[in-house]
Amino acid sequence: MAADIGTGLIAIGAGLAVGLTGLGAGMAEKDVGAAAVGAITEDQTLFGKAMIFMVLPETIVIFGLVIAIMAIFVM
Amino acid sequence: MFRRNGKKGNYAYTVARVKAKKSLLMKEEDYSKMMMMTVPEMSRYISETGYQKEMVDLAVRSSGLDLLEHATYTNMAKVFSTILEASEGELSDMLSAYLAKWDIWNMKVILRGKSYGLDANGIKEDLVPAGSLSAESLDKLIAIDSQEDIIAAFGKMAHVTFTPEVLAAQKAGINLEEIEDYLDKFYYTRLVNSVDTSSRPSLLFLNFVRQEIDLENLETILKLKVEGIRGDAVLKYIIPEGKHIDMKLAMQLANAESIEAMIPDLAGLDFYENIKDALPTANKSLLGVLAGLKGYAMQQAKKFSHLYPLSVIPVLDFMIHKENEVDNIRIIARGTESGLSKEEIKALLVI
Repeated sequence: MAADIGTGLIAIGAGLAVGLTGLGAGMAEKDVGAAAVGAITEDQTLFGKAMIFMVLPETIVIFGLVIAIMAIFVM
Repeated sequence: MFRRNGKKGNYAYTVARVKAKKSLLMKEEDYSKMMMMTVPEMSRYISETGYQKEMVDLAVRSSGLDLLEHATYTNMAKVFSTILEASEGELSDMLSAYLAKWDIWNMKVILRGKSYGLDANGIKEDLVPAGSLSAESLDKLIAIDSQEDIIAAFGKMAHVTFTPEVLAAQKAGINLEEIEDYLDKFYYTRLVNSVDTSSRPSLLFLNFVRQEIDLENLETILKLKVEGIRGDAVLKYIIPEGKHIDMKLAMQLANAESIEAMIPDLAGLDFYENIKDALPTANKSLLGVLAGLKGYAMQQAKKFSHLYPLSVIPVLDFMIHKENEVDNIRIIARGTESGLSKEEIKALLVI
């Protein structure tokens, strides 16, 4: 029974790591995305650069994902 | 006014758009090139730098200097309207309140045009439909014959209330100064009073507007001083609610014997550095001082747009720069046409 609770807590931790970083990335991307669309509206050649800035906040989710994987497979 | 829709503005989107637009504005080297050109060459040059559509559209109706002036104004109005349409929430409210100054401008143009007996097309050339009144509404105003009816219709359209004294003064004579001064005062007073001071973005906006009032007031005081008008006669033109120039300082400046006597009072103000070199010659020509004040407004807008990138200031910064670009183009075109030397034209430009 004790082992089951531990597994459950690890699963919750992994979920929180991905979920919360996802929220964080979403909040960051809100402004970056709006600005990127604004810039592309004026000058379409900025699409490539805007895309790079747009995906930068995604790295936060990757950190969360790494923690989640570590929690599940390493702990 | 700013709580009308209760929504926060879309600052990131609008600011990114205006920054992109600002990067396309003319630079110093563009103005230098234009100073070497004739008016038709200038028309071709500005067609390549963002004014093409307006130049082509209006080429049927006018040509030469008229075409250039009309096209630059039309383009500016279009750009401002696009920004206003792109903005949302409190940002949109602030911008539309600020852009109401073009309603006032248009009203003045219509009244002046009518009093000089210009036809509808002549009046339309100087209109900038960037405010709340559309080109159609302005056409309706132009179609009205009597000045009283125009004023009444404008009051309804732009929600401007006129005091009985102003209306009586307008009825009594043909002098339009009274009503023009009233419109300016009304615009700034309404703007300052409508700002909700509880939020940071609106406070920044309020500061910006109050500083603009200071510059307007100083310009008025200096112009009247050059004409030899002092004291209480000046005070009636002063717009209240300035940031640094309050009524007390305005009184001191207005009562000063000459422009030189104003210098100790002006020395403590932020913009003194920008005008101090031009002040000693201000009696002969105010152009240097006015260019200095305009330059200060642009510097401040630029500084604050960097300090507060997600606020209304970068948008206002762009609007000031765009207006300045249009003014510069017109100065170069008019200057070249009237045979001014390059140095003279350059002294008039604000870069």
